[in-house]
This record gives sequence, structure tokens and C-alpha cells, in this order.
Amino acid sequence: MSADPNGATVIPLASAKESRRPLGRALRAVTRPVAVVWPRPTVDEWGRDARLIEALQPLAHLRWDVTVGGQQHIGEGGALVIISTRRMALTAVYASWAIGDALDRPVRFAGRRDTVPFGPWMRRAGGILAHPDEIASALRAGEIVVAGASPTTNPRQAGTIDPHLIEPALREHVPVHVAATMNTMIGRQARVEIARALRPKRPRRGPLAEVELAEQAQRALQDLLDELGGTRTGLGVLGWMAEG
Amino acid sequence: MRGRRVLVSGMGSELGSLVALQLESEPWVGALEGIDVDPPRRRLRKATFHRIDPTDRGRVLDTVTRFDPHVLIHVAMWEPDARVHTTRARELTESAAVSILGAAAECPSLQHIVVRSAAEVYGRRRGSPTRPDESGAVDPTSEFGRIAAALEATAATAASRVGVTAAAVRLAPVVGPHVPSPLGRLLRLPGVPFSVLADPPFAVVRDNDAAQALVAAARVGLDGPVNVTSPGAITAWQAILRGRRLPIPLVGPEWAIARRISLLFGAPIPDHVAETLHRGRLIDGGRAETLIGFAPTTTTAEVIDSLYAWPSVIRVSAGVGMNETGSVAS
Repeated sequence: MSADPNGATVIPLASAKESRRPLGRALRAVTRPVAVVWPRPTVDEWGRDARLIEALQPLAHLRWDVTVGGQQHIGEGGALVIISTRRMALTAVYASWAIGDALDRPVRFAGRRDTVPFGPWMRRAGGILAHPDEIASALRAGEIVVAGASPTTNPRQAGTIDPHLIEPALREHVPVHVAATMNTMIGRQARVEIARALRPKRPRRGPLAEVELAEQAQRALQDLLDELGGTRTGLGVLGWMAEG
Repeated sequence: MRGRRVLVSGMGSELGSLVALQLESEPWVGALEGIDVDPPRRRLRKATFHRIDPTDRGRVLDTVTRFDPHVLIHVAMWEPDARVHTTRARELTESAAVSILGAAAECPSLQHIVVRSAAEVYGRRRGSPTRPDESGAVDPTSEFGRIAAALEATAATAASRVGVTAAAVRLAPVVGPHVPSPLGRLLRLPGVPFSVLADPPFAVVRDNDAAQALVAAARVGLDGPVNVTSPGAITAWQAILRGRRLPIPLVGPEWAIARRISLLFGAPIPDHVAETLHRGRLIDGGRAETLIGFAPTTTTAEVIDSLYAWPSVIRVSAGVGMNETGSVAS
């Protein structure tokens, strides 16, 4: 028995002898996309299914071609990443998967629903509830959590950030990063740019700490979006539509 | 620290017997006594056992005050449909709590109370945290959760009135080859129903690890709750396939029928088990190592595997005995 890089326990079902058989290897390669139904437990303590995500990656790549920048700013331990989000764009999902790929460690996103059937599926995809205690629990365990600012219709505008999402990071003493995201409704190109950890301007002991840090995060996110520029398709009308 | 008198209530249960077995090898334990309505399920060499019905308050009071324990480990808690049905489980747990905790509170040497509690105290209301830690609100949504929450409250009240510390060890569903558990019994059926739309993850804890956690909480004199769970998680679908059982996917209304059929097969599904299968059951056990100096290492998947590895019949031949964990050893 061993632990995979995602922290999930891996119990080898096939013996070492079997793994040397070319037929067995070929069978496993062919059935890899549907291997999520195999009995080997792959869900971790938050319900994230690494193998399901791995199986869905080819489909995700058909929709998004994500470039991640600034991932070196995220350290080894836990971190809260506040991202800009656009309505109906599943930004938190593709951003968390892309950051996870870039860092080669599991990344969770806050904001899954708690109703069937979408809630359980989002949980398998790495979702956790946007509940301060839930986020704090993940941060305490050294996990990276992506949380979205309130969604906007204009992708170049940063939405407001709920201070309750910031409070767990302050409670658990983990860094807060902002990340600008850019994608289009019709194109595959997408970008996630992560900034350095925010430093609170004034030390606060009370609830002003998260309120001020949330405002600071929104300003930093807007600066980052301005620096990133918009998406360009090369066609005037299409470019305008893409940003909408 | 050495030479402490320890009383274990519920010593006759599987968990209570394991706690007593581990306490016998603890250097800080001087005298060990236990109370239960059933005799212990392990051979205990140092412990003294009193077979008393928890409703017999007079005898409980005499026995406990005569022993005058320093530490009480209260394991006398009945999980619904584990050994008795839900109503009886609530009655027995309440009467045992009142008589044993009440008697212990009369003892002048009492310093510390440890109660066995359950992860069900957090409840699985919609929107509640998926992995609550010890600071999470106690908001039970099942009968077992309400029983455990009431027991914790009784212990906390008794402890505060006499000025001693009280620890609540909130255990994930305790599963093991010999543990009477409705979840374990259900998973061992030839065909196991599961919620196909949700199939949420849950975690369990092995009986030996649960016993070690209770002993560790008594050793360090913990004041407050601690979550104890095995690392990792598993979904019902994955558990069913690991055990090579027939998965029976259910959507919603047919659960009522499934529960009745399961009852006929000898595996009733109480509401906390149904809740586990519909809403999951995870707790954040990350603080256990800090709080009590012990965290289970047996993963949830291994515990489930050991559940399925349990043979229906164990044939013991001459010269073959049972070891401490209950498995056959030559």
C-alpha cells in the first residue's frame, strides 16, 4: 500500500506478477477513462476523486486551453487563492484544475452546491462548500483552496469579495493570493495569472482585518486584470462578443 | 500520575473490552474495574468486572463509590440497531449516563471523565460543513447523534458541577470484524443498496484505534471534544465493489422498501446509517495527534477490507488460540 501524490491511499488491486503481463497493462490502458467505477478508493477526505478528474481532463482540454502564470508564488503549505469569475463560465473548476496541474498537487475550489445530483459531482471534481469552517478545515490541512470573487458579466472587471471567504485564511495564518482569470465564451484560450501573497496594510485584531483584506484583494485583482488585458480574437465583432 | 484507579463503564461491549485490555498495559493505571450488563468479550487479567444493569442505580452507586475512581471512561453507549433497537438504545444510554456519571460525581477522588461520543453529533443538515472539526456546532440530525449529544451534555454538566475535566471522543462510525455495527452489517449483505445520485464519501474508524483514542484521552486528561477518524474516505459504491457485493442503486422513494427488506435480512438501517449513505459522514480528525497524542493510521479502505475479510465461521482447532485483536493465531 502507498499514498499517491494527491494524498489518497492507493491499494494495488493487481499483483506485481499481473502488472508485468502485457495483456493486463493493455486492458488497464483501454479501460482507464471508465476506471473511476473501479472499487479502488480514490476519494480523499474531502471527497475529491483524483481519478475522475484525470479521466475528465481530456474533455476539459477540449473546452479550455489554460495557461497558468505565477504559480511559483504559491508555497508548500496551504493557500487561499481568490480568482475573478465570470457568469456561467465554470471559472473556479477550470482554474483549480489548471493550478493543480501546474503545481502537481490537488487544488480545491469553494462554492459547490449541497444538493443532488450536481453537489456530489462537484465534490468529486474538488469542490468544497463556500462555508468558512469548511475552507478553514482545508487550509489547516495544508490544502490550496480557490474561491471566487462575485461573478461579473464583464470579464475585465473584478467583482466584490466576501470577507467571510477571507476570514478562514486569517484564522489559519495562511497566505492569500489573488489570481486573474481570462477566458472567452467561444474560444478555448484561457489564462490564470497568480499574484504574490497579499500583505495586509495595517495589522488588525478584530473583524476589520478580513474586511480590509477583502477590499485590498479586490483592488489587487482589478490591477491584475488591467495588466492582463482582454482576450483578442483578431476579429473586431467576435472579439467584442468573446469578452461579453 | 501512577497508581490511578480507572473505571470503565460498558466494559462488556466490544469497544469497552478493548479499552480495558489496553488499560491493563498502561503504566499509569493502578486499579481497573468495569461495569456492564454483559460480560467482557476479552480475557482480562487485571480488571475486576461487575455485572450490573445500568438501570439498577443503587448497585451502580455502591460499586462506583466503593471503588472511588480517579478516571471514568464511559463507553456505555448504545448505537441504534447495533445491539438493540433505537428506542431501547436511547433508554439504556440515558439510564447508564445518569446512574454511572451521577455515581462517579459522588466520588471524592474523581479527576477526569472521558465519554465515548460519535461523529453523528455534527449532523448532516443541508449546507452544514462537510468535514467539521471540534469547533463545529453540535447540531445532530439523527437519533444516534441526539443520543451522543445528550450524553456529552450530561457528562459536561456532571464534570462542571464537581470541578473535573471531561473529554468527549467523537468517533467516526466504528467498524471492525467483531463490532456490532449497523453500517458494517449492511455492507456485508449479499446485495447492498446505495444512493446512486449522491454516493457521498464517508470515513470509519477501526475498533482498536477507537479504543486507543479513548485510552489516550484518559491518559492526557483532555478537556473538551476530539474527533477521531481513520485517514482517507470511501464511498458506498466503492466499498460495495471492494467487498464483491451486488450494488443496488436507489434514487429516493424506494429506500423505504429497501430499509424494510434489509431489516428482514437482519441488517436494519437506522436513520444515521441512511444519512451516511445519502449525505456522507466525514470529520476533521487533524487535531487528534495534538490533543491526545494519537491519530489512527489504519486507513478507511483497510478498515473496510478487514470488514469483508471476516469469515462467517471461524473454526478454532486444538492448539490454536485467539490473539488480542481477536484474530486467530497459532
